[in-house]
Amino acid sequence: MSLALSTLIYEWRRYMAAVIALAVAGLLVLSLVGMFMGIGKNFTATIDRSPADLMVLPPDSQGFGSSQPRRNIPTLYQHPEVVEVMPYTQRWAMWANFPSPGQSAKRDGVQVIIVDPIAGAVTLPNDFPEDVILALQEPYSVVVDATSLAKLGVKVGDKAQMNGRTVNVRATITNYPSLFNSMVFMSRQTAKLLNLYDEGPRVGSLLVKLRDPARAAIVAKELNDMGNKQFRAWTREDLARENQAEMFKESFIVIMLGFMLIVGVFIGVVITWQTLQGAILANIKEFASLRALGVSMGNLNLIIMELSFWVGVAGLLMTGILLVGVTALANAVGLTMFYPLWSIITIAIMLLTIAVISGLLSLGVLKKSQPADLLR
Amino acid sequence: MTGKLAIEAKGLTKSYKIGKIKQPVLKEVNFTAYHGQVTMVMGPSGSGKSTLIAALSGLMKPDEGEVIALGESLWKKKKAKIDQFRLDHCGFIFQGFNLFPALNATQQVEQVLKYCKVKKGEAKKRAVQALTEVGLDKRLKQTPSALSGGEKQRVAIARALSKNPQLLFADEPTSALDSVSGQVVIKLLHRAAKEHGAAVIVVTHDPRLEAYADRVIHMEDGQILSDTFVNRPEDVPPSAPHA
Repeated sequence: MSLALSTLIYEWRRYMAAVIALAVAGLLVLSLVGMFMGIGKNFTATIDRSPADLMVLPPDSQGFGSSQPRRNIPTLYQHPEVVEVMPYTQRWAMWANFPSPGQSAKRDGVQVIIVDPIAGAVTLPNDFPEDVILALQEPYSVVVDATSLAKLGVKVGDKAQMNGRTVNVRATITNYPSLFNSMVFMSRQTAKLLNLYDEGPRVGSLLVKLRDPARAAIVAKELNDMGNKQFRAWTREDLARENQAEMFKESFIVIMLGFMLIVGVFIGVVITWQTLQGAILANIKEFASLRALGVSMGNLNLIIMELSFWVGVAGLLMTGILLVGVTALANAVGLTMFYPLWSIITIAIMLLTIAVISGLLSLGVLKKSQPADLLR
Repeated sequence: MTGKLAIEAKGLTKSYKIGKIKQPVLKEVNFTAYHGQVTMVMGPSGSGKSTLIAALSGLMKPDEGEVIALGESLWKKKKAKIDQFRLDHCGFIFQGFNLFPALNATQQVEQVLKYCKVKKGEAKKRAVQALTEVGLDKRLKQTPSALSGGEKQRVAIARALSKNPQLLFADEPTSALDSVSGQVVIKLLHRAAKEHGAAVIVVTHDPRLEAYADRVIHMEDGQILSDTFVNRPEDVPPSAPHA
């Protein structure tokens, strides 16, 4: 084991401030990214877990929201590999509970997501269990995420009001938390009963099932050629990636992240630099004795640079540990955190860069290792 | 090699500036040391003895004068070359032991050998050998916190000796040690001179060490007051102690 690594392990208390500063800097940025990405992930949960092989959107849109003409559906069926095409329908509704004695009344806008409760249907998320599918087949039955129950003021078996009509909360699902408006799932039939579904000339996104899912990318290209810019077909992965990228084009997120990044780097560099300086000064006589024995200044600089690199690695490990804690805490309050690989790689590079910059700044202290001072 | 001139200094002058006053610490000092001999430099604090060995060993440039070490003019070299000279030829033992707290005894020695471009396996062998020579074969894996003062100084000696230096400088090597440990340390320095043929230069004000010296130099106020050979090298005439 090298001198730098042994010193870090042996005198870990001395380096703790730097390690924690790095970890907090990393955590600051990464948890913010995780939160934004998690929120984005919640919005796209229904895409990510859709059994659809392709999504067909209006040509200029990446998100689910804008509309396209319904006649695109028969166009898509012209491709021999397309098995099923259904519109993805999302609506808004007003929710109210029937408060039991002592319970407060809740009124909230909710997102309504319309599914076809038949196993294998292209609109039915692939993680809905059998009992939930059966429950959705009943008229006026709805299903919500378990974390939304409290916000909606109901429990399984309760009745509630949507747009003035009574619905039954028949079951719960997991992994569909929402920070803002809760998601309420219902069948197309129930949606019609609640006046939430229309068969007008325009539809939102289209969910497409293919004969061979492995050929999704090829078929997407063929459909796009066929469609002549009337629509655009996306594979699920491409759309999810595009949505993530789109999110970071939002200026306020970029400003916030940029600000956090600068604050994080600044705090990280200052504390790590000062800690390293203190630690080097504590061993300055030992370094001076190496100088006396003829070890060059360049070699001592290398020891410090290696030490700061290891401090960076330790900070990275600490970030990982803290992040697990923060994620657990977030999940406990129903907040999904999602860390894409690029964010983890960016933070790893950022922390190691901070450590190396701090190391470079600390090299000046080594000049104090004058071996002549050891003679008295 | 024993008895040959190892280091020769002529007209060493050095002064420190304290405020606006120039305080001379070395005044035209001439000095010689021979291979295989323990040369002891004694004198009260402030007599300039530490500055003398700093100048002799390439740690501090004198204002004037010349040092010929192993036949090379030390202060005419560039800084990097002086470092290289020390790495190749010099060992140091300080009053404080200056061992890295994180490294065990073997690693302390290996650390220095690494910079002497000694291969890993060879470095380990030489480290164990050097530590065995100073009687620490049972303490190879101990870190400084588990070693007594005397043992720490022996590790520092092993670290210095492992390079097989031809010049060994010791500055007050026993002043932080009890008398028994001090005896062990000075015997080791004596052996380094006799068995390895090193020129050992010891700065001390511990009179008990005189018994192990081949030559005793007394300094005061930046000048050499007396220079007495206990064992005179064969080729040094009695009339010319400073060569």
